[in-house]
Amino acid sequence: MTGRRIAAALAGTLLACAACVGPATTTSVYRGKAGHTAEDALSQLETARLAVETDRRGNLLHASLEVMLTEAEDGFSSIQATFDSIQPPDSTEADQLRDKLDKILAAGSDGLAQLRIAARRGDSAVLYSTSAELGAVSEQLQAFSDNPHA
Amino acid sequence: MKRIFAVALGILTAIGGFVDIGDLVANALVGSRYGLSLAWATIGGIVGICLFAEMSGRVAAVTSRGTFDLVRERLGPRVGLANLVASFLVTMLTFTAEIGGIALSIELVTSVNYLLWVPLVALAVWLIIWRVKFSLLENVFGMLGLSLVVFAVALWKLNPDWSTLLHQIAVPDKPGKEGLLPYFYYAIALFGAAMTPYEVFFFSSGGVEERWTEKDIRTSRVNVFVGFPLGGLLSLSIAAVAGLTLLPRGIQVDTLSGVGLPVAVAVGKIGLAVAILGFVAATFGAALETGLSCGYAVSQYFGWQWGKYVKPRDAARFHVVVLLSLIAAVGIVLTTVNPITVTEYSIVFSAVALPLTYFPILVISNDPDYMGEKVNGRVSNTLGTLFLIVILIAAIAAIPLMLLTKAGQ
Repeated sequence: MTGRRIAAALAGTLLACAACVGPATTTSVYRGKAGHTAEDALSQLETARLAVETDRRGNLLHASLEVMLTEAEDGFSSIQATFDSIQPPDSTEADQLRDKLDKILAAGSDGLAQLRIAARRGDSAVLYSTSAELGAVSEQLQAFSDNPHA
Repeated sequence: MKRIFAVALGILTAIGGFVDIGDLVANALVGSRYGLSLAWATIGGIVGICLFAEMSGRVAAVTSRGTFDLVRERLGPRVGLANLVASFLVTMLTFTAEIGGIALSIELVTSVNYLLWVPLVALAVWLIIWRVKFSLLENVFGMLGLSLVVFAVALWKLNPDWSTLLHQIAVPDKPGKEGLLPYFYYAIALFGAAMTPYEVFFFSSGGVEERWTEKDIRTSRVNVFVGFPLGGLLSLSIAAVAGLTLLPRGIQVDTLSGVGLPVAVAVGKIGLAVAILGFVAATFGAALETGLSCGYAVSQYFGWQWGKYVKPRDAARFHVVVLLSLIAAVGIVLTTVNPITVTEYSIVFSAVALPLTYFPILVISNDPDYMGEKVNGRVSNTLGTLFLIVILIAAIAAIPLMLLTKAGQ
């Protein structure tokens, strides 16, 4: 019976660990986490932009557009918060990586909020122009994801 | 003519009822990351579910008894209990995901937060389970689920390079930047999504509900061997359209709206509306099936009266289990846990529970004391044993891969 309890406790701990954000003990690990963050953030940003492009072609229900933009914004915020919660190692490169990605994420986050506001107001002009501007942020995220050093 | 109609209806409902929230999410997610290079896992799952659904349907037709009742009698109460606990927990998790899935689908056309829809959805699910005839609920939601054919239409409209798609299916490979561990983690997820245990319990319990006899074995086989693979083609279509529209832009599906986005891109507003109808039908139908399966599992194990073929007052404990399961599922969804995350975990834990589900079915369908002349043939046994080995490997590898890859990240 004790063995089963230990096994159950172990299983619970392991499952909990699967969802945890681990500390970045070295710059290399931190770089990897930053790269994954950029990749995940890009996914949210491009989802929003594809939704707006589809809406522009008249192919998307307005309610669905609102839902997609809200979900993309929420997902992006969650990714940003998770990255910010990682304790970087004590190195100049880690600090530079953090500053660089933080700036890109902040621009993405602002843009996604503008998309959501414009969609709810039915302001198509702002919606489409903001989406186009976010293309540059997507490119930065893609570049960071491919090579965090650069 | 009546027989032909019954067979056709059975096939159509099998196609429409094949896809649930797990298939929708897993196929879109994997398609957006790997294209069709993991199609082999889906195809393997489809072959497996056909094999074991045929066995369980035959067992139901010959014995007129539920799976858990037979497992307890044939393998003893301890093995039966292990089977019950594992299957019930996984089915509960799936039930929770389906309830969340219905609410998310409605949110897509109303833009009203899905959490506000959950109590109404739960009430509708309970009322339908309580009041509507088994055959009616099975056929209506199965037929509406055919709306998901819009994914095949979207695939055709995207005008893909078919030879490239076929090459991805025929020569499995992973995209260069993806690691091997996530690749196999998602293979197991697809396998688990296609072989979800409740589908087999529901299929066999449904056979008992509809009072199948040995004469119905042929119809059951046609439904399984024609309907399920065609339903599986819908799964592959979902993966294919995600691969064509989302993969090139680095989009990874993590929402139900993301599953539908490729249809909007390819077919437009009407296509998306049809896809959302398909989402509602698929998740609602699966919610009914998983809710009933919770009741079937517990009632059959304890030898209580069960099913919708008797009046609710005659199967009171069965309906109490269904109701309590529904309340628990709603409670979990209302904690604001992401239903898509619940879905992802449900399909991986499905894979873990597969041996406990499918091994007893193989044993019983081989036992002449129960099956008489209708025991498994050589082909069924060989394939069944081979699949059981694959299932065992998938079950053992699922949790370590989930931990090592942080659930596929």
